[in-house]
Amino acid sequence: MRRTSTSRTRRSGYAVVLLALSVIGTLYTAVAGPSAATEEPASSQSMAIEEGRDFYLSGCSTCHGLDLTGGAGGPSLIGVGASSVIFQVESGRMPLSAGFQQAPRKDVRYTREQIDALAAYIQSNGGGLTLPEGDLTDGDLQLGGALFRTNCASCHNFAGSGGALTYGKYAPELEQASPRVIYSAMQSGPESMPRYGDNQLTELEKKSIVRYVRYISESEDVGGAGLGRYGPLTEGLVIWVVGITVLVLMTLWIGARA
Amino acid sequence: MSHLEKVTDTTAGWMDERLGAAGYVRKSLNKVFPDHWSFMLGEIALYSFIILLLTGTYLSFFYTPSLTEVVYDGSYIPLKGVTMSQAYESTLFISFDVRGGLIMRQIHHWAALLFLAAIVVHLLRVFFTGAFRKPRELNWVIGVLLLILGLLEGFAGYSLPDDLLSGTGARIFHGIILSVPVIGSWATFLIYGGEYPGTEFLDRLYALHIFVVPLAILGLITFHMLMIWYQKHTQFAGPGRTEDNVVGSRFFPAYAAKAGGFFFLVFAVLAALGGLAQINPIWMYGPYNASQVTAGSQPDWYIGFLDGSLRLMPNWELSALGYTVPFNVLLPTVIMPGVIFVAMMLYPWIEARRTGDRAYHNLLDRPRDVPVRTGIGAMSVAFYVILVIAGGNDVIASVFQVNVNTMTIAGRIALIVVPPLVYVITKRWCLALQHNDEELLHHGIESGTIRRLPSGEFVEETVPLPLVYQLSLGVAEPEPQDHHSPAPVGTGFEKKPALERAPDKDGFFRPRRSASNGSANGSSNGKANGKRPEAELPQLEKSGKDKPPS
Amino acid sequence: MSNPPSDADRPLADQLSSRPPDEASGPGDTRGSSVDQDEFQNTDSRAQLQAEGRGEAQLDSSKTPEPAPDYSHLPPSDRDWNIAERKVAGLFFLAVLGVLGFLVTFFAVEQEFGQPGNVYFTPLLGIFMTMALGGVGAGTVLWAKLLMVDEEAVQERHPFGSDPDERAATAKALRQGIEDTGLPRRKLLRRSLMLGAGSLALLPLPFLGFLGRFQHKERVLATTSWREGVRLIRQNGTPVKLGDLQIGGVESVFPDVEHGTLKADSPALLIRMRPEDLQLPAEQQEWAYQGHVVYSSICTHLGCPVKLYEQQTHNLLCPCHQSIFKASTGATVIFGPAARALPQLAISVDDEGYFVAGGDFAESIGPSYWERG
Repeated sequence: MRRTSTSRTRRSGYAVVLLALSVIGTLYTAVAGPSAATEEPASSQSMAIEEGRDFYLSGCSTCHGLDLTGGAGGPSLIGVGASSVIFQVESGRMPLSAGFQQAPRKDVRYTREQIDALAAYIQSNGGGLTLPEGDLTDGDLQLGGALFRTNCASCHNFAGSGGALTYGKYAPELEQASPRVIYSAMQSGPESMPRYGDNQLTELEKKSIVRYVRYISESEDVGGAGLGRYGPLTEGLVIWVVGITVLVLMTLWIGARA
Repeated sequence: MSHLEKVTDTTAGWMDERLGAAGYVRKSLNKVFPDHWSFMLGEIALYSFIILLLTGTYLSFFYTPSLTEVVYDGSYIPLKGVTMSQAYESTLFISFDVRGGLIMRQIHHWAALLFLAAIVVHLLRVFFTGAFRKPRELNWVIGVLLLILGLLEGFAGYSLPDDLLSGTGARIFHGIILSVPVIGSWATFLIYGGEYPGTEFLDRLYALHIFVVPLAILGLITFHMLMIWYQKHTQFAGPGRTEDNVVGSRFFPAYAAKAGGFFFLVFAVLAALGGLAQINPIWMYGPYNASQVTAGSQPDWYIGFLDGSLRLMPNWELSALGYTVPFNVLLPTVIMPGVIFVAMMLYPWIEARRTGDRAYHNLLDRPRDVPVRTGIGAMSVAFYVILVIAGGNDVIASVFQVNVNTMTIAGRIALIVVPPLVYVITKRWCLALQHNDEELLHHGIESGTIRRLPSGEFVEETVPLPLVYQLSLGVAEPEPQDHHSPAPVGTGFEKKPALERAPDKDGFFRPRRSASNGSANGSSNGKANGKRPEAELPQLEKSGKDKPPS
Repeated sequence: MSNPPSDADRPLADQLSSRPPDEASGPGDTRGSSVDQDEFQNTDSRAQLQAEGRGEAQLDSSKTPEPAPDYSHLPPSDRDWNIAERKVAGLFFLAVLGVLGFLVTFFAVEQEFGQPGNVYFTPLLGIFMTMALGGVGAGTVLWAKLLMVDEEAVQERHPFGSDPDERAATAKALRQGIEDTGLPRRKLLRRSLMLGAGSLALLPLPFLGFLGRFQHKERVLATTSWREGVRLIRQNGTPVKLGDLQIGGVESVFPDVEHGTLKADSPALLIRMRPEDLQLPAEQQEWAYQGHVVYSSICTHLGCPVKLYEQQTHNLLCPCHQSIFKASTGATVIFGPAARALPQLAISVDDEGYFVAGGDFAESIGPSYWERG
């Protein structure tokens, strides 16, 4: 049966939806929209570099050294490029608290402008990879899906819910990752992640993947609660913890003689 | 003559003239079914199966079991224009373009999970209460067969949509068949119609899934139920409940109403799950491609124990004389389940042989009264649960940030260490519970009333445990010792009524004192039945049968 | 079974007069044995009776029929009854509401993917179906519990064994029947029957064999589509050029043959690492090319695609059963259930700078099998 598409039925449909919202509202975890990316007018390049240098000296130099050549626990940042900076700082991984095998995602410590300034400063020292200009989600959704399943799903899971790697490492879930972070991760290959150079995945292909990841992260589940999008494991848990439990309680009710 | 009377008379008359079934129908309407919540667990499985048939039939109207490549042009935007198999395309069509198709699919899938979960719960109930004993061994075997067929049916259904996850499952299944010595590669060619993935796997699986296996399940369920009907249901000990009777509701109307109502309740729970909890979102998995895979690839929960055993298995492989035996696959997925299922089927005879108990049993055991069996059961559950957890160790590792290698090694150790430990603990626990019951029987319940004796001593009055409780503690009402042979002693399997329990070999449990009642004298021959003092078992004793031994 | 209820506590159904005892029993009787004297007993609240010391009397008297139930003494205006009835009816009405809600949802709510509100379609259907089915279900159960006569009844069981004479007669009938066929006496008949019936078993074999198309399984299982000079292409069909991959890069590659990307035995993984990191076994060193190395991505355990490459540790993880392979040392197994290293594909670069295979894999890819050797 095809949908009825007159506006009247659609409106009445919404009415029903509104009526039932209170019932099912609790069953849904609201999928938070992406923080609106505020487009700032670009300040002059040199000012940004100066500003970035200040942030670097106060926040990063302890580990990475005053001259970016690395030091106590931190690698050299010469030539890593703006892309790496954006990945590490915008995902909250840097600054790193000591003692992790793998840098965990944390609350972001810098604003978008501060990150850009920091990136500009690092970029000015030895160059390196930079993110392309413009909208990073400006790709093809279907192509992105196919590329995601070929290149990404084997570690990050079919819906970007993350997965285990060897010996305690893990591929993080992608729902919280901003387009810039996703793009720069593919570009720079942080930690365990392989790198995908532009000869391997073109700019369009990378943007398509970003678009697909953001799309599935933001799309609500059509079949009810998504159960974490982990696959059959959580479904099995639900049938035991909810299904069997509820039905056993019912048998207790039915079987009880007053 | 009332209207109702007219209708019933006419109907009965019409039927009887043609079928001559009046007598049988009357007996059936009045058939007594014992009431206990745990006797309804098997019903959950039965109702899930009916719901599976209903929803599955609807799905079959739209599904196409074909690997022919088509380009998707349905309403799920992220896959528009993607090349995929017809099977996957038709499943997407059901999910997005058939009105209400998604909830049908989801109820069908949830019902499959529930079907197997209910079978497992029902099986545990039957095992721990000893309901499989003579004369019900055959029904136990049928139950195990139903479980195996259920696994097969579930796996076939899981593989049909040809999504990335199910395709991965089909590939693993291929590898498992391939591992069988001598016939393995030949068998995979028969099943897949050639080299993997072949073109006909889905057609064959579909025929199995919607015809062969359901028919076999339906036939076995029918036989299962006929046996219950014919042999009458078991019951727990309690007032008036003996080996020779059934106490409970009549089939019509009360039992039928409760059972019928329960069907709708099971359906309601499945509808709630089908509508509110998304299951198997194949559109996110994407179409199957042999070079793609998703992290956390999992089977449905009921195959999880096999996946877990695969993960925990060390990498043993034997190559000799030009032939290869991959024990790393063969042992955990062919030999282990084979041994387990055969042992399960034979268990009633194994236990009977061990105990020498050839008697009929219509009264159920309380698990604590048969510590060895309960221990074996708990041990098996522990073994199974460890395997299931291991089957999801990568997802658990990723969610809880644990090292997946550590989980695998821990699982290997746990699989060897935990089950024996669980056995010992469970057995001890059962004995402790028996001990507790003994206390209750001998001392009664503390009443809170303090009485002063003439000597000036203060004592607290205790109230004897009400008979109702005594009876359900396993204090058997006396009964003729005709076809019930005395329970053998010393094997740990025998049911020991609280009052005649033998002193425990380990010295863990001993009769507290040879108090006023003479039955706590540690007599171990089980023949003290019927010799209980009046004070312990008033009146009701004679209410049993005066039936002569047959 | 709990404390003996007082009269006031007893459910309404228990307060109804009992149905007459029935001499009928289950289908056990249909065997025609002499156990027709089955008995029913009405043990209305036996615990209470026992507490009052009347258990024996009750049970004994139960063998005599009681008068037919008389429902007419129940006044229709009885408040308890009406409340109970209303509870049940309320649940049935809930079911009607559920069905109405279901119908409205089914026909009026947007289902099409991507349209606003479509995510509520299935949950709403579920909620209303639950109301409808649960209303009928819970209503029926409550009806049985509150309003139906459901006193505890007792039914006799019958011993299953028949008497020895009966058994002997049955065995004799069986024996006689077999003898009547003449089989025990006629040797030729017996043997020819076994031969004839046995040869029928051969009939299905060709049919079974045809299921597998009579393929040469060893050859098919041991080979893939990789041949010398075949280019390495990506999923989208483009060939991979030297330099496309950065160090720490990885690419799923397929043979550039017809339907190459769909062949289930041919997917491979092209990895680029620092040449000094590569420590391949001596005979495999030739198969790598300037830090590029290609392994079959079909797991030697059970055939899942092994694609999780950690560029720092060079670990390759199979997501199905967590076998770990070391890509830098020839994809040898370092953990998990896989027994064999992933087969390595020899590669080189052709005149135009594209990667080409040096031939097929040197051994069978994927899971082990009997004839693998």
